[in-house]
Amino acid sequence: MPTPTDVVEALLFASDTPLEADRIRDVLELTDSDEARTLVDELRVRYEKEDRALAVVEVGGGYRMVTRPQIAPWLMRLAKTRTKARLSRPALETLAIIAYRQPVSRPEVDAVRGVNSEGVLDSLLERRLLRVAGRKEAPGRPFLYETTREFLVAFGLRDLNDLPKVEGELVIPEVGVAPNGQAQAEQDPGPGGADVTARS
Amino acid sequence: MTTAASESPSSHLLTLRVGQFEGPLDLLLHLCRTNEIDLAALPVRSITDQYLVHLESLEFQDLETAGAYLVMAATLIYLKSKLLVPPDENEEQLDEEGEALRHELEERLREYARIKALGSWLAEREAEQALVWGRTGSELPTPDDVPLEDLSVHQLERALKRLISEQARRRPREVQPEPMSLLERMTEILAVLRDTWSLLFSSLTGGERRRPEIVVTLLAVLELVRLGRIRTQQTELFGDIVIERREDSPGDNVPLSADPDFQGGATVADSH
Repeated sequence: MPTPTDVVEALLFASDTPLEADRIRDVLELTDSDEARTLVDELRVRYEKEDRALAVVEVGGGYRMVTRPQIAPWLMRLAKTRTKARLSRPALETLAIIAYRQPVSRPEVDAVRGVNSEGVLDSLLERRLLRVAGRKEAPGRPFLYETTREFLVAFGLRDLNDLPKVEGELVIPEVGVAPNGQAQAEQDPGPGGADVTARS
Repeated sequence: MTTAASESPSSHLLTLRVGQFEGPLDLLLHLCRTNEIDLAALPVRSITDQYLVHLESLEFQDLETAGAYLVMAATLIYLKSKLLVPPDENEEQLDEEGEALRHELEERLREYARIKALGSWLAEREAEQALVWGRTGSELPTPDDVPLEDLSVHQLERALKRLISEQARRRPREVQPEPMSLLERMTEILAVLRDTWSLLFSSLTGGERRRPEIVVTLLAVLELVRLGRIRTQQTELFGDIVIERREDSPGDNVPLSADPDFQGGATVADSH
């Protein structure tokens, strides 16, 4: 007879998207989601203790079964590739702007980057790291963009709160309007303020 | 703007590749970093000069990018001009404007620096995740109700674009009839001449005959003349050609394709 933890293991194996604690609760007919989390933790501990090739991580608001980074060399050999495709610097910067300011329109993204972001946005939409969240009630009614769950998964984030805290507000410069109030932000916030749990 | 690069006095100092900078802000930030400039005290004078030197050595792939760099250059030059001209009490308002512009520029630079840092933070996370594999497809049957989060306006837009381009590709084309072969035409002319003594070239090509057919008809006539089957007359320049049967023709039973040059009956390709 499989234990509830075994069932959770199977659910995570069979699922292609992060499995929320609520879903696990519903499937196992548990009383609350915390119980589901406890089961996942049990599975995690089991995997760690046995030094398994798989690990359970919390990304995109759910749990996901992934291979451990140590196995990567063999998987790359299996896939006959050196690395996974990486995003370009403009793409990463665009994602950063949208992740912090979502929902945000292209003119606003352009204003921060100082260049046109149309092509970058298209490729990010194509990769489903972004999605259209609606339209901005502004001249031209531009699309508003926001990050997707795939974004969180791709960067191993549990949710948007996993993003490093930025000193001061992110300012979108308005054309022709000088922002007032000297920001007390440092010159370079850097990733130092990250409060991400290094669990992976 | 690239032409000046070679003459630029400091061009030997610059080893810039095209596309090294993501935009004017990126370039400006790079200048500030290399000069260890505090963004809060942007030295407009020196930065402007350096920016312009860099600008000359950059190559732009499109006008829009070039425009973005030039707008920044214009802003910097404007700010620099403000500093060079001694302050005029009557122009206090203009000075405020300049100050505000400088302030905005600083703010944008600081913001961009923040974004750059976040971008590299994301790159680190991405690199970590590149070593980790999870399931991307599931063999579980998909539920009947697709979760809304998987849908987006963008997908609809893409579907529509695809449909439009597909339709454009499938737009009914005008099908060109196969041009008649020379041999067929020759046979046709002879068949007509069997019933009548003579006929006009215009009657062969009249109606809605298309240009390639007229050419084929003319070639057919010329070939028949060469074979000695018909005789032609043209009384005036560009006038109609009268085609007559030749009494002394070698006979109808001689195969038309006897001439090896016309094996298979050449066809005139539609040249337009």
